[in-house]
Amino acid sequence: MSHASTLQVLGRDTPRQDGVAKVTGREKYASDMSLPGMLVARVLKSPHPHARVKSIDTRGVSDPQAVTLTPQEVPGIRFCPRLVSTPEATYKDWRVLTDKPRYVGEPVAAVAAESEEAAQRALEAMRVEYEPLAAVYDAFASMEEGAEPIHDVIELNDQALKVERNVACQMEAREGDPEEGFKAAAHVVERTYRTSRRYHAQLETKSVLVRPEPGGGVTIWSTTQTLHNTRILIHEIFGIPMGRIRVVKVPLGGSFGSSIQVNTVVPIAVALALKSRRPVKLSLTREEDLHDHCSYQMVFRLKLGADSDGKLVAGHLDAWLDIGGHQVQAYPLLGCVVGWWVSLYRLPHKSYVGKAVYTNKVPSCAFRGYGNPQITWAVETLMDELAEKAGVDPLDFRLMNYIGKGDLFWGQGPTVKSIIQSCGVEEILSRGSEMIDWYNRPKAGSQRGRYRRGVGMGRGYHTSSAGAPVPGTVVDFGGAMVKLNEDGTFDYVSAMMDHGGGTMDANAKIVAEELGVPIHKVNIVNADTGTTVYDVCTHASRGIYSGGGAALKVARQVKDKIRENAARLLDAYPHALKFRYDPERDQAVIYAEGVSGRELTFKELAYAMRHKNLGTVAAVDSYRQPSCPPHFTGYFVEVEVDTWTGRVRPLRVVAGADIGTVINPKLAAGQVHGGFAQGWSMVVNEDLPHDPATGDLLNRGFLADYKVPTTRDMPNLDDFTVFFTDTYEPTGPFGAKGIGEGALNPVAGAVANAVQNALGVRFYDLPITKDMILAAVGGKEGQA
Amino acid sequence: MKVTMTVNGRARTFDVEPNRLLLNLLREDLDLTGAKYGCGMGECGACTVLLDGEPVMACMTLAVDCEGATIETVEGLSSGEALHPIQEAFIEEGAVQCGFCTPGFIMATKALLGESPEPTEPEIREYLKGNICRCTGYVNIVKAVQRAAEALR
Repeated sequence: MSHASTLQVLGRDTPRQDGVAKVTGREKYASDMSLPGMLVARVLKSPHPHARVKSIDTRGVSDPQAVTLTPQEVPGIRFCPRLVSTPEATYKDWRVLTDKPRYVGEPVAAVAAESEEAAQRALEAMRVEYEPLAAVYDAFASMEEGAEPIHDVIELNDQALKVERNVACQMEAREGDPEEGFKAAAHVVERTYRTSRRYHAQLETKSVLVRPEPGGGVTIWSTTQTLHNTRILIHEIFGIPMGRIRVVKVPLGGSFGSSIQVNTVVPIAVALALKSRRPVKLSLTREEDLHDHCSYQMVFRLKLGADSDGKLVAGHLDAWLDIGGHQVQAYPLLGCVVGWWVSLYRLPHKSYVGKAVYTNKVPSCAFRGYGNPQITWAVETLMDELAEKAGVDPLDFRLMNYIGKGDLFWGQGPTVKSIIQSCGVEEILSRGSEMIDWYNRPKAGSQRGRYRRGVGMGRGYHTSSAGAPVPGTVVDFGGAMVKLNEDGTFDYVSAMMDHGGGTMDANAKIVAEELGVPIHKVNIVNADTGTTVYDVCTHASRGIYSGGGAALKVARQVKDKIRENAARLLDAYPHALKFRYDPERDQAVIYAEGVSGRELTFKELAYAMRHKNLGTVAAVDSYRQPSCPPHFTGYFVEVEVDTWTGRVRPLRVVAGADIGTVINPKLAAGQVHGGFAQGWSMVVNEDLPHDPATGDLLNRGFLADYKVPTTRDMPNLDDFTVFFTDTYEPTGPFGAKGIGEGALNPVAGAVANAVQNALGVRFYDLPITKDMILAAVGGKEGQA
Repeated sequence: MKVTMTVNGRARTFDVEPNRLLLNLLREDLDLTGAKYGCGMGECGACTVLLDGEPVMACMTLAVDCEGATIETVEGLSSGEALHPIQEAFIEEGAVQCGFCTPGFIMATKALLGESPEPTEPEIREYLKGNICRCTGYVNIVKAVQRAAEALR
C-alpha cells in the first residue's frame, strides 16, 4: 500500500486559489500596478562596457516635473543585492547608481516624470561624459596580467578587499588523495566543457512601484522572490527604520532565479520616490531586462577515473565562472558547483578548484538550478564516455556509482551537509529505461541518411532548500501564521513567494491536511513584511519542503490549541478528543467519541471563543528544516537529428521524478514539462554572446534574437511521459520534497547524450548549434 | 485624434496621439491590465487581444487603427463570477503557472476555437506558436485547449 493512500487533501489536483484572478486578467503584477499621482521612471544606462563617468549634466532637462537622480545623490554604500548568505560569504561590489559602469546597460542615472514619454525625453536631455576604459569579455583574458582591473576594491564582512587579476572570489576543496586515486584508476577521462550565457526570459520584466509614506517610510511592490530581504537591503542602503519599510507581496510573472537578489530597479525607484515625494514606478523594457541579468557561463575541466570493476575512484574539477561586471552570489555558487558535482556520484578521492572571474558583461545571477544544470551536463556526458571506456552500459554505470539513501549529501555547498533519507533513483532508472526500451537503443554512430535518431539519458537532482542539522554560510528558514476564522475557515499567511508553481497552494493544502479540512477551508492571505515573520527567499526548490514545513509546524500548534479550547468548552480531556470532517455541514468537527452532545464544529468553537472572550485560535512561528533532501530526477530522451540542416527535434521524453509525496500531480508534472523545455533550449538554442567591438549584447537586447521554445518545439502530448516514484521523505511535510530545479538539471545531459547516440559525435560546448552539427557530420562522412 | 471602438461590449471614444499603442490605451486608460507587455515587438504574444475576432498583438497595433473595431480582452471573457470554458480549462489542466502569458494564450485559444472547433494537436501547436510560455513547456496548455474545445462542442 502506498504511503499516500491515507491522505485526504494532498496528492489530488485542486484548482489553485489564484487561478480565477489569473485567467480573468484581474491578477495585478508589479508591472500592472499604478497609483494616483504616480511618476514613471526611466534609467540612464551606460552605453560603454567599461568607463568612468566624468560628469553628468542635467541642466538640459527642461521639464519642471522631472526629477533626476545621479550617483552623487544616492547613499555611497557598497552592497550585495542578494542576502541569502552570512556576511563572511557575501561579497559587496554594487552601488545604487554607478560612476564606473562595468557593463553595457549598467544604471548611471535616472529620472522620474509625469509619463514614460516625459521621463524618456528628460533622460535624453541629460548629458553624460564618459572616459572609456579597456574592456574584457572573456574570463581567461580577464585573469591575464595587465588586463584592465574591473574592480579595485570590494567589501567582504565589512572589510575592504583588494581584487587581484579580476578574480572575484575562489574556493578549493579536497577529500582523500586524488593523485593516488587516479593512479589506481583503470579508466580515466578528462574533458573541457563550456556552457553558454542564458537569459531567464521570465515573461514579466523587472518592475517596481514605490510609494513614499509620511514619516520617511516607503511601501514597495516589486518583482521579487523575497519580501524580507528586500526590506533588509533597503534599510541597509537608505537607513530607513525597518518598521517604516513595507514590502508587499505581488505575484511574479516568472522569475527562475532572476529575482533572488533585490532587482537593480528597486533602490533606484526608492531613491526617486524619496527625492520626489511622489509614488514612482519603474518597469524595464524587454531590451533593458536582457541587459540586466543572465545565467553564469562556466568552463569546466573535469576528470573522472574508474577502477576495472566500473567503480568511480577519483575526480578533479576545475571550474571557471564568468560572472560579468558584478557579484550577485559568485562565492556561494563556487560552493554549490563543487557540492552539485560531488553529490552526484561517490568519489572516494576528489579535488576542486573554482574561480569566479569578472568580465565587462551583463552580471550573472542564479537561473533555475544555480549551476547544477551546467555541471550535471558535463558530468552526465562524461559518465557516458567513461562507461563506454570501461565497457559498462551507461545506465548500469550510473546505478553502480550514484549517491543515494544513507550517503552524505552536500549539494548546497561544503557548509550544508546532511544524510539522504529517501531516494527513488533506482525506480526512476528502471521504470524509465523500460519505457524508452533503453537496452535496445541504437548503437552510437551506426546510422546513415539524412535523419538520425538517438536515445540518451541523464540523471540528477536538486536540493529541497538549504537546510541542515547545523548552521552554515547559507541562511535558510521560513515561517507561517495560521489562524481559525469565526466561520470555521483558516487563514494561512506567509512571506513565501510563489513563482507560479503553486507553492502557496501546496502549503495551504499541507495546512488543510493537518487540520482535517478540505482545501477550500484554507485561505491564502496576501501579506507583507509587517504582517509576516521572516522567510529567506523562494529559491533552492525550498517552497514546499521548507515553506510547507513551516506551515505544518504552525498548523500542528493550531490543532493543539483547538484541542485545548474545545476541551475546555466541552468539558472533556484534550488528548481524548477526535477530529472528523462533516461534509453535510461543510465543517470540521471536534468531538468526544461515544458521548452524545460533546462535539463542536470549528465554526461553533470559534464563535464560542469569541463570545466568551477566549481569544483567537492562531499560531505563528519560524521553522528551520533539519535536512537538505535531494529530489531526484531522470530523463530519457529520443531525438531526431536532421543532418542536412543541423536541426534537432525531440521525439520522445520519459521523465521520472522522486519528489517524495506528490501534492499537486498536474502542477508537479508541469514543473517537469517546463524544466524539460528550458533544458532542451539550453542545448539547442540559448546563448547571449557579446559583440567584442561594442561590448553590447549581439542581439542588442531583442527577444527576436534570443530564441526560447514555442509550442512547436516540444514533443507531442503522447510522447511526453512523466512519472513519480513512490517515495517518502521522513523529514518533509507529509513526506514531500522539492521539484522545481531537479526538473531541469539532468535535461541537458540527456539531450546531449541523445545527440551523441544519433551521430556518434560528442560536443563539449553549449549550445550545440546547427552549424556545429553540420560541421561535425560534414567532417565525418558528408551528407548522405 | 478621436477614435471610437467597442471594448468588451462597450462603445468608447478616445482622444489619442497618433502613435498611441492599443496596449497602452487598454492598460493605462481603461485599467485593462490583462493584456501584458512582454516584449513590445510582437515576439511573445502576452499582449494578444481580439480585434474583430482576430488575434492581434496589442503592442504592435495603433489605437487609431481600431476605429470602429470591436476589441475583446481577457477581462471581457467571463460574465460575473462565471468563467468561460476556456478559462475553466486552463485552471483545471494546470495550464496556469505564473499566469503572465495566460491572458494572451486564452485570447489566442478563443480565436482558434472560433475558427476551428475541433483542432488537432498539430493545429493547436501551430496556432499558438506566437505565444511564449516559459513555465509550462506548453504541455498543460495544449491539454487545456483540447479540454476547452470539448467543453464548447
